Amino acid sequence: MSEHLPELIAPEPPSVLDELPGDLMMWVLIVSELLVFGAGLAAFLGARIFDPEGFAAAQDALHRTGAGINTLVLVTSGFFAALGVRMAEAGRKAATRGWLAAASALGVVFLIVKFVEYADKARHGIGIETHPFYTFYYLLTGFHAAHVVAGIVILGLVSIRCVPRTVEVGAAFWHMVDLVWVLLFPVIYLLR
Amino acid sequence: MTAALRDPLISAWLWLLALSGASTLLAAAVSQGWLTGLGVTLGGAAILALAWAKARVILARYLGLAEAPFWHRGFSITLAIYALLLLGLYLIG
Repeated sequence: MSEHLPELIAPEPPSVLDELPGDLMMWVLIVSELLVFGAGLAAFLGARIFDPEGFAAAQDALHRTGAGINTLVLVTSGFFAALGVRMAEAGRKAATRGWLAAASALGVVFLIVKFVEYADKARHGIGIETHPFYTFYYLLTGFHAAHVVAGIVILGLVSIRCVPRTVEVGAAFWHMVDLVWVLLFPVIYLLR
Repeated sequence: MTAALRDPLISAWLWLLALSGASTLLAAAVSQGWLTGLGVTLGGAAILALAWAKARVILARYLGLAEAPFWHRGFSITLAIYALLLLGLYLIG
């Protein structure tokens, strides 16, 4: 009986899941969010096939410079969040909070630019039903902006305890928001 | 300065800024009429390729998949297939 004991208590072989950085549930969330936005962007390009001229004309009313600035803002914000994770792993709580606050501040800048963009559309009478292009535009960019708001809240929450694992999870959500934007921006704002 | 550039996070950030700038320049070239005909289509394909490159940088460096080869490969293949899907839909349109 006792000769079989070592086999019974032998450690399990390492799983590929152990290799995944951060929390598994955060990756499940990231993948599901990417699927939703990915489907939305594919549907947008699918709808464009039936009215390329109408989509191009509608796109001309968008503020590409503002969206381009927002891309720089968001990738820089992601950089700050990644630095926050690095500081958390080094046990430097004050620096972690500082970088996460900087990342959040740029998130607020992103939202302000987005608000100005929406206000400009409203002033010109452009709404969600003006053209199918704008239906996708408002749904996709609005849903993304909601994720930016959620990301700012999450970065604030993980700053409170400032434990490396939770900071990494919060930053991963923020990077997902960043990742979605770098795909959304060229498809909605740039492709002709 | 050179040491900073060797930091994977800093180099990833600089790459993202450069790729975003290139996308915006290409878009400006199209909207200003500097590119016409087939040039517009090729410009659009290049913009999608730049977006794909940016997404790869974020996955590898910001999200840390460079440290997880199995998952990095899986995400890279899936992302490449998705980018090809978007390119196909764009070219049909």
